[in-house]
Amino acid sequence: MRRRSFLKAVGVSGAAMSAPGIILPAWSQDTVKVGCLFSSSGAMANIEGRLNYVVQMAAQEINRNGGVLGRQIEVVTTDPGSDWPLYGQQGRQLIQEERVAATFGCWTSASRKAVLPVVEENDSLLYYPLHFEGEENSANVVYMNSPPASSVLPALEYLMSDNGGKARRFYMLGSDYVWPRTINDQLKGYWQQEYGIEPDAWREQYVPVGHADFQSLVNDIKRFADESGEQPIVVLTVVGNSIPNFFQEYINQGISALDVPVLGLDVVEADLEGLDTEPLVGHLNCWAYLQNAPGERNQQFLDAWASYVNENDVPFRPDVSIDPMVSTYDGVHMWAMAAEKAGSFDVPEVRSAFPGISFACPSGYDIKLTADNNYVHRGVFIGSVNRNQGFDIVWQSPETTVPVPYSPYI
Amino acid sequence: MRAGKIVLCLLLLVLATFVPVQAADIDRQGLVGIWCAGDDAERRDSFAAMLSQVESADEPTRQWVQSVLSAYREGDLFCTAETAFRPAGEAYENVLTGERVDALPADANAPFLNIPLRRALEPVSRAVTLVVSPEAAERLGAADGLSRSLGVVPPALIEELYATEPDARVRSALEQVLVGVWLASGDPADQQRAIAALAADPTRQNLTTLERFVDGAEGSLSPSVEAAADEALSKVKLTVQASDILTVLYHGLSYGSVLFLAALGLAVIFGLMGVINLAQAEFVMIGAYVTWFVQEALKVVAPDLLDAYIFIAIPFAFLGPALVGVLMEWGVVRHLYHRPLLTLLATWAVSLLLINIVRVSIGTQNLSFYTPEYLKSGFTVFSEFAITWTRLLSIFFAALALVGTLFVLYRTRFGLRVRATTQNRRMSGCVGVSTRRTDSMAFAFGSGLAGIAGLALSNIYNVNPTMGTSLIIDSFIVVVVGGVGSVLGTAVAALGIGELNAFIEPQYGAVASKVIVLLAVILFIQQKPNGLFPPKGRR
Repeated sequence: MRRRSFLKAVGVSGAAMSAPGIILPAWSQDTVKVGCLFSSSGAMANIEGRLNYVVQMAAQEINRNGGVLGRQIEVVTTDPGSDWPLYGQQGRQLIQEERVAATFGCWTSASRKAVLPVVEENDSLLYYPLHFEGEENSANVVYMNSPPASSVLPALEYLMSDNGGKARRFYMLGSDYVWPRTINDQLKGYWQQEYGIEPDAWREQYVPVGHADFQSLVNDIKRFADESGEQPIVVLTVVGNSIPNFFQEYINQGISALDVPVLGLDVVEADLEGLDTEPLVGHLNCWAYLQNAPGERNQQFLDAWASYVNENDVPFRPDVSIDPMVSTYDGVHMWAMAAEKAGSFDVPEVRSAFPGISFACPSGYDIKLTADNNYVHRGVFIGSVNRNQGFDIVWQSPETTVPVPYSPYI
Repeated sequence: MRAGKIVLCLLLLVLATFVPVQAADIDRQGLVGIWCAGDDAERRDSFAAMLSQVESADEPTRQWVQSVLSAYREGDLFCTAETAFRPAGEAYENVLTGERVDALPADANAPFLNIPLRRALEPVSRAVTLVVSPEAAERLGAADGLSRSLGVVPPALIEELYATEPDARVRSALEQVLVGVWLASGDPADQQRAIAALAADPTRQNLTTLERFVDGAEGSLSPSVEAAADEALSKVKLTVQASDILTVLYHGLSYGSVLFLAALGLAVIFGLMGVINLAQAEFVMIGAYVTWFVQEALKVVAPDLLDAYIFIAIPFAFLGPALVGVLMEWGVVRHLYHRPLLTLLATWAVSLLLINIVRVSIGTQNLSFYTPEYLKSGFTVFSEFAITWTRLLSIFFAALALVGTLFVLYRTRFGLRVRATTQNRRMSGCVGVSTRRTDSMAFAFGSGLAGIAGLALSNIYNVNPTMGTSLIIDSFIVVVVGGVGSVLGTAVAALGIGELNAFIEPQYGAVASKVIVLLAVILFIQQKPNGLFPPKGRR
């Protein structure tokens, strides 16, 4: 008897839940779906999770102004759980079952590589908001951020110049996957070809993704620094929660930015949230946007994010804004512009509308897509950690740079 | 570019001829102007010029220079168009007029100092402290940092200070600063002094200096100097090697203590009760969150006690997870005592539930912990062997937990009941032990121990909802290797795995060390399936 009533209840609630699914096609004429592939759990959750909300915020903005081609944007979110293959699987679901017009997603290159075959075989679009190792140019991916030639190399050039402290020895510490390894290969080629630096001037170490105990490795950095008189730096390519763990150990072992500065290629404002940044002042990063970017547009973006967080009870800080957030935000707008221009949501037509699209990015630069490739032209910032868990701008490029997808140094 | 350089050189020349004339007086306004708004080259030149003047300046000027310079170095000098302010207690002081204001003017901001500028400023500021400060301890601190780089500080000034320095420890610190100058002087007596100073402080940096001196000299040294250098070199090398070995051992010990803390609760629950609790690591997370709550509460209720929050949090970090443990045992585990597979699934579900409750209610961001002054950095034992306070604290907590657990299990009535129930449940029931209650209490005890682990880890790792997931596998490995049910075995296994990791990691990298450790564990389990200390008798 109890079992029967239970089954009945399940049946009724199931029918109720699937009802919108039945009605959906009737009003889906007025909406267009876009997908999000960002993890809300696992090692990447703290930084990736907030990008889901950025997509929703951007969609809300566009919807308020009448939507795209007269349709309202509907955002479908997923949680691939920081598990790289799951990004491919959930990406396939988004494209084939939810029929999204475009997907915004991925942080690590490993996850992008998992989604790549999926978007290619379904001829869909992925907007990828991170700077990465390059060496890829798919017609189905819009690279919203910079390849190394226009982000990492300017930062290294700065660090190796007189103004940046004449770094000549390099300790490369990265998470063990495609982005750190490819970046480091490019850097080694760069040092060798441009500066004639010999391989004994660098050391390369990798840790598993999610690695937390950096005691021995930070001690090794100390040894490396004391072995020679020339100025050493750390090129840090660990990702996710390994970043604050690394810095915590760096503080504990008392190495200052004056002795061995760290160039953190994946370090954003959000990674410093739980840390006392007083002993970290002077460590560097490089991105296409920093929260302290000057200008009215950035202020507008920061205000919009703060009020979005407060209105919708988003579990992230209203006063922290990071590059991938802005890149994602740019991506949603640039996709809407391309669809508007093409007059259609069909991928081939949207794609052919890319060249010439330009957007007023919060970073202050007018970023654009050209006919050469699917890389967005962005500006470059080099930031230096300050005491308030943020970055001061040390240097910024006068204009947007021309992206070079394939590095000449490999 | 070149023309600019020439003009700059001329300017400097003019300055250089000018400076001695008005050496006694420092142009405060000009100095602040350059520090606030000058370009990098101007600022760097101003440091050297100021240093040459400070020696002959009168006492108030010296004090002024020291205080403003240290504010500038710390990023606490807030510039406006005409003047600059530095913090003085709650208020701010105008550095030119001495006037105090309660709030900074709206346009005041601290000038950004890039790394080369800070590297130039650091030695100058230390040298000023050496010249000005009457406190031997302050001078010692300043002298210690100078050995890394002298920057624009003239070695002659240091030699002068060395000659007049009354404090022996400061003198020996200054010797370290002067070794570079002495070695390069070519005078055998100076070189002997430098070698003696280097040998007295056997660090890796000094080892590198010695090696380069010996390699670079190539027979140009006097025989006595060469003999002394060789002897010092071998002595320093030996000391550095010894300290390296101790460092590795210590790292292993501290990593082992982390593993032990994480695994101890599991050793009780899995080992003694045979329950595979996949939510164990989430109790570690809850313990860390409770610690954070205690810290936040203290900030509001009793800010004076904030420094001791780690110790005040101990009972809370134990009781909080213990309570959750009791609830979980009562609600889930007790129904599944004889179905291990279902326990595994159910506890995994609880683990996901706990993670997501924390994520929804508090958020995924890393929690910010206050580090008390006494836990910051650490101390050097000798040569390169340094100990950080946070790691020492985790070792201390591990030792405390080990002793406490052994005491509870072997010296209390509750421990007796737990052991009896483990050995023979029905028999203990017959002699009047309430096995139900014992199960529940043992589960709470194991959960509480995990909470203590969370407390100890909060200053080493980041605290976020998923912090436990990386610990659970390691904990199981430790418990299995140690021998299911043996607390001592868990300690030995944690230490062994920690040491193995610490030995392999610097050599072959962290990825390889994970692989090698796991391989070693597999081989070990094949040889000794019951672990290091297998339970005696039949089960």
